[in-house]
Amino acid sequence: MAELPLHDVKILDLMWVMAGPAATRVLADYGAQVIRIESSSRFDTARTISPFKNGVSHLEGSGLFLNMNTGKLGMTLNPGNAKGREVILDLVRWADVVTESFSPKAMRAWGLDYESLRKVKPDLVMLSSCLMGQTGPLSQYAGYGNLAAAIAGFVNLGGWPDRAPAGPFGAYTDYISPRFTATAILAALEYRRRTGEGQYIDQSQAEAALQFLGPAILDYTANGRVQNRGGNRDSVMAPHGVYPATGDDRWIAIACRDDRDWAVLAGAMGNPGLARDSRFATGAVRRSNQDELDRIVSGWTAGFEARALEEKLQAVSVPAHAVQNSADAATDRQLLHRRHFVELEHSTLGSITVEGTRFRLSRTPARIARAAPALGQDTHYVLEKILGYSEDRITELVASGALE
Amino acid sequence: MLSPYRVLDLTNERGLLCGQILGDLGADVIQIEPPGGSSARALGPFLDDRPDPNRSLCWWAYTRNKRSITLDLRRDQGRDVLMRLAARAHFLIESSPPGEMARLGLGYAELAKLNPALIYISISPFGQDGPKASYADSDLIMMAAGGPLMLSGDDDRPPVRLSVPQAYLHASAEGAMAAMIAHHERAHSGLGQHIDVSAQQAVAQATQSNILAVQLNGPELQRASGGVRLGPLHVQLLWPCKDGHVAITYLFGSAIGPFTRRLMEYIHEEGGCDAATRDKDWLRYSELLSTSAEPISEYERLKKVVEAFTMRKTKAELLDAALKRGLLIAPVTTLDEVVNSPQLAARGYWTSIEHPELRRSFRYAGPFAKFSRMPIKYRRRPPLIGEHNREIYTQLGISEGQLAEFARAGVI
Repeated sequence: MAELPLHDVKILDLMWVMAGPAATRVLADYGAQVIRIESSSRFDTARTISPFKNGVSHLEGSGLFLNMNTGKLGMTLNPGNAKGREVILDLVRWADVVTESFSPKAMRAWGLDYESLRKVKPDLVMLSSCLMGQTGPLSQYAGYGNLAAAIAGFVNLGGWPDRAPAGPFGAYTDYISPRFTATAILAALEYRRRTGEGQYIDQSQAEAALQFLGPAILDYTANGRVQNRGGNRDSVMAPHGVYPATGDDRWIAIACRDDRDWAVLAGAMGNPGLARDSRFATGAVRRSNQDELDRIVSGWTAGFEARALEEKLQAVSVPAHAVQNSADAATDRQLLHRRHFVELEHSTLGSITVEGTRFRLSRTPARIARAAPALGQDTHYVLEKILGYSEDRITELVASGALE
Repeated sequence: MLSPYRVLDLTNERGLLCGQILGDLGADVIQIEPPGGSSARALGPFLDDRPDPNRSLCWWAYTRNKRSITLDLRRDQGRDVLMRLAARAHFLIESSPPGEMARLGLGYAELAKLNPALIYISISPFGQDGPKASYADSDLIMMAAGGPLMLSGDDDRPPVRLSVPQAYLHASAEGAMAAMIAHHERAHSGLGQHIDVSAQQAVAQATQSNILAVQLNGPELQRASGGVRLGPLHVQLLWPCKDGHVAITYLFGSAIGPFTRRLMEYIHEEGGCDAATRDKDWLRYSELLSTSAEPISEYERLKKVVEAFTMRKTKAELLDAALKRGLLIAPVTTLDEVVNSPQLAARGYWTSIEHPELRRSFRYAGPFAKFSRMPIKYRRRPPLIGEHNREIYTQLGISEGQLAEFARAGVI
């Protein structure tokens, strides 16, 4: 078996919930050795977030935690304890990369800020990730990605123009920033490889996420226009929307990119004349008659099962897809073909399912083999096998409370 | 950090961000457009609402730090030039329909023969293979296929997307991360490889792992106005306030419960609820609801208590309280408020780029991270169509005469 691409990368991971752990999850998939620190009094909040295995809220049963921490080692350690801090410093000496998402104040209070750590490890790459960044009036503003999504403008851009904002689902900035986190770490490692120099990376999850609003930001800074939510309408495509299908809360998304798509759709609807109808003949008139257009399309889609209609329309190259929930995803033939879901054996839960890698490397594919650690599962392994501590020293640490 | 490396970027709107990330990190990124310009240049909004391929703000947003050349890959001479460029490049990014590059003789297998160290990144809607690989796509289609769409919107209307297209940005950012992983490996092996990014799989990240719900034998989460529905519970996460809306993580449990307790203390202090309401067991409140020890009608009453309170406050007052008291509240911010945010100003986030041909400067979203030693710089404004043809082609050893001939024949 080929060596994994990141087999030589060692990461001490003090991040938590989703934004940070999602990044180190990918690095672990590709071979990085990642040690995640939790403490038993302050375990990862992700452990309390659904979906749960069997629907039961339980510290080891969070599908979010399991999905974000596949392939990592997990240990419990109290960074506020003096002996715990010593262990952390030994782990810093071991690591190439330290990542953390505490508040800027906390890391300084523990003497674990970059300036302190680089004395221990001069070529350290360290990344701090928090909602708003390490500086500025909101640097101490702590919270989750749903709040960053609100404050960075995403929430206001999702929903219906005549209603209160609906926003994108969940902790939206936590889905974006991990890609930038992992990329930043690898770029800093590349620079260290060539120059021997480490560096510190201050990542604001909101700032990283704003890359995804680029055109709308320029529309304001260059044109003075404040874009707002617009339902499912598009500035070019029409019809463009989410239409009902048979069954309870079943939907199909359809997007006609141009007149051809629309003519083909009208044909599929058994009403080719619609494409020549003066209300719908061009994109511009379709866009100005969208309420009527949507009513006609909805009336037709409502008679079909979503997946069957998706296949019917895709067979004639009209962009269409069933709006998938998790049950649909579980049987989506494309996701199955791509092996998007991976079954793993968990130390206490038995068989669990996690997501696989979202991209493939042809020569050095990911290896996804080890389920996320139970709380403190690898504490002894890390102390004994990675740090080489004696049994006496470990016993002493246990007694001191440093490993709680 | 990536200044020794050259990237050939053949993508359109499905992949532009990937090359821009590598360019922000210092790589020499050459955007290769068909003669007449990339299809992304046709996407609005446009500067001053004047449609023009050099004024597309969609193009601007994702092509800084790149140079542009034009090249017709459907012609033999064009393919020839691309191969010469690829022989010396470190990365190539493409977002053509699966199979198209191979049909042109420019697939990974062909280019790897010329340059075994090349990292070749393909970004596509559903991935390079599988039953849906040739599906017709759009942003909305991908959000439906990958799962996030189903989770957002109001109860009484269809699921609804974010109005600024997102799907290919997820895929493109994923592609940059993948490229860096392959690059790290190349330092050991000296070999490149093919990277196959699926937008469907990339956007599944935006379900917050709820795509796994049924496979974990758990209940399906459902969209609900201002929040989500989990079984009988309509969880509210967005609230109206005096001058707009705020997001409040009004949840319970050992980790989030203490924040909710502080919020209820705040509401009580200001006369918004009685002591019994304040003193509920916020750490165990979810269990109380799920075991019916607390009726759902009481949770519904609490939501009204919170709403009556937020309606008395402005977004700014609530944000201030969040900072001072450690609460999980954020203003739902409009784009002008984002751009004028004191926080982003204090961090020098917005970055002006001069467009000399327009004699104007524009503020762009700033760097995705602050690097202490090698800060991201915006070295180049988004390129005009084929702006760097001469510079790049003559460097490649193509003579002025040949260039003129290429231009006449429509190769560039």
